[in-house]
Amino acid sequence: MTNPAIRFGIPALIAVGLVAGFLVLNAGGPEGRPLAFSLAIGAAFGAVLQRSRFCFYCNFRDLVERREAAGVIAILVALAVGAIGYTAIFGAWLPTPAPGRLPPTAHIGPVSITLVIAAFAFGLGMAISGSCLSAHFYRLAEGSVISPFAIIGAALGFGLGFLTWNPLFLAITSNAFVLWLPNHLDYAGGLVLTLALIAALAIAALWWARPVATQEQSGLTLASAIQRLFIIRWPAVVAGTLVGIISTLAYFRVAPLGVTAELGSIVRTAGTAWSVLPSTLFGLDGLRGCATVIKEALLSNNGLFVIGLIAAAFITSLLANQFHPRRLTGRDVARGLVGGVLLGWGAMTALGCTVGVLLSGIQAGSLSGWVFLVAMTLGIAAAWAVARVWARRFAIQ
Amino acid sequence: MRPTLRLLASATSAAILTGLSFGAVAQEGPLVTAAWVEENLSNPDVRIFEVSVDTGVYERGHIPGAVNLAWHTDLVDPIRRDIVSRENFEALLQAAGVGEDTTVVLYGDNNNWFAAWGAWVFDIHGLGEVKLLDGGRKLWEAQGLPLDTATPEYAASAIELPEQPADLRARLVDVLDVVEGGADVSLVDIRGPKEYSGEIFAPEGVQELSIRAGHIPGAVNFPWGGAVNEDGTFKSADDLKAAFAALGIDGSKPIITYCRIGERSSHTWFVLSRILGYEVRNYDGSWTEYGNAVGVPIDNPSGTVWGKI
Repeated sequence: MTNPAIRFGIPALIAVGLVAGFLVLNAGGPEGRPLAFSLAIGAAFGAVLQRSRFCFYCNFRDLVERREAAGVIAILVALAVGAIGYTAIFGAWLPTPAPGRLPPTAHIGPVSITLVIAAFAFGLGMAISGSCLSAHFYRLAEGSVISPFAIIGAALGFGLGFLTWNPLFLAITSNAFVLWLPNHLDYAGGLVLTLALIAALAIAALWWARPVATQEQSGLTLASAIQRLFIIRWPAVVAGTLVGIISTLAYFRVAPLGVTAELGSIVRTAGTAWSVLPSTLFGLDGLRGCATVIKEALLSNNGLFVIGLIAAAFITSLLANQFHPRRLTGRDVARGLVGGVLLGWGAMTALGCTVGVLLSGIQAGSLSGWVFLVAMTLGIAAAWAVARVWARRFAIQ
Repeated sequence: MRPTLRLLASATSAAILTGLSFGAVAQEGPLVTAAWVEENLSNPDVRIFEVSVDTGVYERGHIPGAVNLAWHTDLVDPIRRDIVSRENFEALLQAAGVGEDTTVVLYGDNNNWFAAWGAWVFDIHGLGEVKLLDGGRKLWEAQGLPLDTATPEYAASAIELPEQPADLRARLVDVLDVVEGGADVSLVDIRGPKEYSGEIFAPEGVQELSIRAGHIPGAVNFPWGGAVNEDGTFKSADDLKAAFAALGIDGSKPIITYCRIGERSSHTWFVLSRILGYEVRNYDGSWTEYGNAVGVPIDNPSGTVWGKI
């Protein structure tokens, strides 16, 4: 797509819409200001995700299959920067992290077998649909034909998650425990341990990776700056640092990063209205994470965050000429829906996704984030193993 | 701003300007204005507490120097259904540096709903005469006054609370004394009209239920939100007096307020007791106790039957 009217006109229109939305919301007094901030920080997040291809699944696959570490390093840098930012905020809000105390609204989620199962299912869903939920949102802007179906599937999966929540809660989740590192190691100890684990993962990733030939860096001119900003993929460390800063600011002002609360809210509101979902979900209100409540207002912080994310991703994607839809196949629909259902079910049952539980959880010093990371990785690996077996079988036939 | 308060506020500024000590600034009456709070932010004899319903509101920005009170842990007994024990509350006040002469000001979100409940708890434990920031958090934010995100730390005080709690609390037996024993006490039900009439058992989305609908026989209905203006401030004492008098509540006899779990009714307790000066007790067992009690008289004009579809 090279028509400049589209390549520059549509981003300009979206940008005008974003700015207008921000100004209108921001004029709405104390209730409106957090909504305006959510829209703006969502847009910042969307732009960084799209410009740096900050996709949990794609980056992990690049590391394993192509031995490219850059994407995974971006994620690890985001975790490290966010962990430092979160700790700075925690220190002000909760000066002594005595046992039993938790900082408000941080995604310090429950750890249980349910979380392991849910994160495993989420990993399967990532492998089948080609990315996690946050990436599906920004990949809408790149013309991904799978992403719309993955998001529809995720909505269905959320509905299934609500249906299975109560039995699972009674059987397993109610025994869950919350482990917040600073409760046991103080802030300094918790941060050092988190950073050490991240560093260990970074070392392992770099050890496994094969160096990619580096592009020659030309001197910075206006043309090359525009090129680097709008066309070329942003460097891993820059992207990770930005995501870490965005996480910190979002938590400081509104809520930890998460992309599924609004989706879950919409599904729960509709499902409750149609009486297909239980009206009470045991223990859900007491648990931390992307809890999904019945909608009371049309506009919510999380809804505007996701709108900002998608809108900004469209701006950067179109400017970079990266909107490339391809012909839709039945296979795409099936991959999207099946993977999406697993993503949605996993995200509901785990009380969040790669952003809400993994990113925001690890940054907050919660064990739940690490458990999600491990179980999700196992889910991805299991999906690959099954895919290999199938491929071999079809090859023999 | 009411004239008396304005006068006091200017007197306060004058006191600060002339370099007088802070000791003389305690404001008369149960309410303080945002301007008064702003002027007393660094007054060591004033301690501000935030009691908000929503989690994370305090941490993301509170009145500078305000101490956070979590209503669901700090102000209640976490095991039995009761308000916080004297020992625990004493420890909490000591940690917040509240002394015998400290002027305590409470504020919170949702029109000071839980702040008023906090005031009731403070008063029961002998803190008597704690004040509410008129308009609460809503007005403070709407006026664009400064907020802080750091948690303040104060030198501990050695305050000791009285052994005997103040008689501001009604129990089920006290209410039954009115309903069955003919004690000359007015009952004020501050829930919504549909809860009062028994059309619904509880508002949508609440978890604490009674298995009977309706109200305590003889109670009059005054939905609590009727006591505040659009901007979150309390209506004037004259307006409040007239509104309650229209329902036959004029302070000529003792009053018991109740709601569903006893928290919203503290707001009305504050209005009747602290602003109008009537003799009022709050029944914190409220409808979730009364409507679940066995064999007590109930007035259910709607005739709603539990379990019947």
